[in-house]
Amino acid sequence: MERRREVLVGLVVVLGIAAGVFGSIWLKGGWRGGQTELRTAATSVGALVRGAVVKFRGVTVGSVGSIEVLPSGEAVMVEMRVLEELVIPANAAVLLAPESMFGEWQAEILDRGEFGLPPFLDYPEEGVLPGAALPDFSRLTATFDQIARNLTTISDRVEVAFTEETAMNLKGVIDNVSVVSDLLSEIIAQQTERFEDLAEGVDESAQELGAAARAARISFEHFDSLLLGADAEAMMADASAGLRNLRELTEDVGSSLGDMRSAAQRVDATFARVEGLLTALETPDGSFGRLLGDPALADGALEVLAEFRALLADIKENPGRYVTFSIF
Amino acid sequence: MAELLLRPFAAIGNLTLAGLESMGRAWRLFASAAVSIRNTDVWMPLLLPQMARVGVASVPIALFIATFTGIVMALQASYSLTGTIPSYFVGTLVGKTMILELGPVLTGLVLAGRVGANISAELGTMRVTEQVDALETLAYDPLAYLVVPRLLAGIVMFPVVVLLAISIGIAAGWFTALQLLEMSSAEFVKGLRIYYAPWDVWFAVIKSLSFGAVVTGTGCYCGLQTEGGAEGVGRSATRAVVAACMIILCLDAFWAAVLL
Amino acid sequence: MSIRLREVHKAFGPKEVLRGFTLEVRDGETLAIVGPSGSGKSVLLKHVAGLLRPDSGSIFVDTHSVPDLSRKELTRLRRRIGYVFQFAALFDSMTVTENVGMGLRRMPEWDARRIAARVEECLALVDLHGLGDRYPAQLSGGQRKRAGLARAIAPSPKFLLYDEPTTGLDPVTTTVIDRLILRMSDEMGVTGLVVTHDMTSAYRVADRITLLHDGRARFTGAPDEVQAAGDEVLRGFVEGDPDLYFGRNNDGT
Repeated sequence: MERRREVLVGLVVVLGIAAGVFGSIWLKGGWRGGQTELRTAATSVGALVRGAVVKFRGVTVGSVGSIEVLPSGEAVMVEMRVLEELVIPANAAVLLAPESMFGEWQAEILDRGEFGLPPFLDYPEEGVLPGAALPDFSRLTATFDQIARNLTTISDRVEVAFTEETAMNLKGVIDNVSVVSDLLSEIIAQQTERFEDLAEGVDESAQELGAAARAARISFEHFDSLLLGADAEAMMADASAGLRNLRELTEDVGSSLGDMRSAAQRVDATFARVEGLLTALETPDGSFGRLLGDPALADGALEVLAEFRALLADIKENPGRYVTFSIF
Repeated sequence: MAELLLRPFAAIGNLTLAGLESMGRAWRLFASAAVSIRNTDVWMPLLLPQMARVGVASVPIALFIATFTGIVMALQASYSLTGTIPSYFVGTLVGKTMILELGPVLTGLVLAGRVGANISAELGTMRVTEQVDALETLAYDPLAYLVVPRLLAGIVMFPVVVLLAISIGIAAGWFTALQLLEMSSAEFVKGLRIYYAPWDVWFAVIKSLSFGAVVTGTGCYCGLQTEGGAEGVGRSATRAVVAACMIILCLDAFWAAVLL
Repeated sequence: MSIRLREVHKAFGPKEVLRGFTLEVRDGETLAIVGPSGSGKSVLLKHVAGLLRPDSGSIFVDTHSVPDLSRKELTRLRRRIGYVFQFAALFDSMTVTENVGMGLRRMPEWDARRIAARVEECLALVDLHGLGDRYPAQLSGGQRKRAGLARAIAPSPKFLLYDEPTTGLDPVTTTVIDRLILRMSDEMGVTGLVVTHDMTSAYRVADRITLLHDGRARFTGAPDEVQAAGDEVLRGFVEGDPDLYFGRNNDGT
């Protein structure tokens, strides 16, 4: 009897403790072998918290240990515990970004070469990886807007130097923009359907977006026919108008998406097409901008484009990252 | 007329004084019990049987409740989470609520009924049949003999029972998600892990520790305060359960405010 | 002088139970305190064992002032005091053997074998031989009382306090218990304090009898003095006459 009781008590205690210990280890993401510490510094950490996952090439390799603002106040130091055997690229950087559209953030170790943006903070201390927190969606749309403005400026100057090659490039651009607008209007239709019960304002802006997209599409179709006729001057005038349309469109996209954050994950497909548009703007040899005789403007525009493209690449991979939607 | 007006105030005053007095007595009991811990030779041999009674015997009921809580949580979570919220949040909800709240508190409340009433009735019977006095005349310290082993058993065994209950509750929710909600294991686990923080488990352990002390403590206190035969025993058992439940809920709020 | 109470007062809330009780129990004698139910006899006994503290007054057992003893000293004193409870107060969760051995297990000089031998001896003394493996619930009322007595005498105490040892027992068992009480005092020199309302039993076991009335010791004397006394209250109690006990003009209310 006594023996039995001892065994029972022992069994329950061991089981309970085992459930607690193994359960919590399992919930944390399983056993990790030896761990080593990595540090990164960034100007801001967004919504990163202790215990957030650390990823490398999409695989969880550790967790965030501590987050502290440096005494100087100039940056935030983030300590991460990662697998000991992890080999990270020589020019590794750490990107802090939302993991999903529900607001939890992660720290992602990546190759800085493959990912030029956003501006990583190079902290002057040995062993501290450059870090940066991704901007959220509003900053993205602002960038989008800036690009559109630059495009308009470029097109205003197109008259200065216009060759057949440029025209062909432009035609490619326009084709792409046309596809973009198609997609946008399609998305908008979808979103309108899906978020019917959202606020009326959203509905309205969605319809405006649709209208803007349709208008853009019509002007681009006009473009197409003009290009066939190769009437360069008329075409450029139209191009300018078309790009203004595009700008309006993007502005609309910006404001509407501000309202429809939860729709964001849908946008990635569209942006893939926009990327095609950007490629077309840049190629072939010698960029579009340079032909326009204003290298400073062209460089500025190209920088913006590169920035935008990097963002797009990331948006494509992690659509939810750009939307902060918190439930808890 | 004046008497009529004063009566409610007198009643409130009486109630307050009685409450404070009772609280004072309880604290004195626990302070004396803490002093009695040094009489290890008295309570040590009794600890194991009490751990068996308080802990092991409570496992089945705790697991039973945890199982159904897990199932219900999963079903209700999937009912509430519609539209844009992904289904893996069923896992998050089941895990978080089981670990942080339902595991410790439901187990605590049920064990308040099971363990608290049991202790109170037992000690109450011993009190009214003079067995407590008998212990004293036989040179035993009743606090070391009766209160300490029960209190320690509660403090040690509650977290164990609660951890088991949490595990089973989550497992039940998982099973429900797989069988009734057409979720995949991977989805459920993703939801479980996504917001998990190791502190959650410590929180549950701290909570259940305190609940263990509360349930066994009120049981001992009400039991030893028993007066008036069989009826008194019944009364103090009821009082122990009610008091323990109320204190558990207050403590629950207190810990949530202090520790989270 | 082995047990001395002087001017002991004790009240439970508004109810004054002891109102200046004074008594001396001499070394080796057995003194019976008689009085009706609810007169505070058990309360008195609990004061002697240190289970209750007096509101005022002094209580000495040997040279120790009971209310002033520390916990440790009280524990030491209690090893020399045996207490026989009214309803035996056996521990329900233990067998009779375990019950009787309880007090001995607290004493470091007693090992398991010595305890077992002593328990057997005490059980034989109270005629419970062979019932050691039973639980209290399986015993009759008389057997329980005897087991309680065995538990009290097992550590060979110098003082024995009996709380209603014969109440509720049949005449034969009463006689058995009374003989045991006598034996304790005759053979072992135990100082006994018996609380009872059973006059037959009191005459049989007591060297002196004290009537507890109205919170005080109304009369103290040897059994023959009690029988000869003219005190109305004492006669009222002994003869079971409420008119005498409560006073003629009082109908017992």
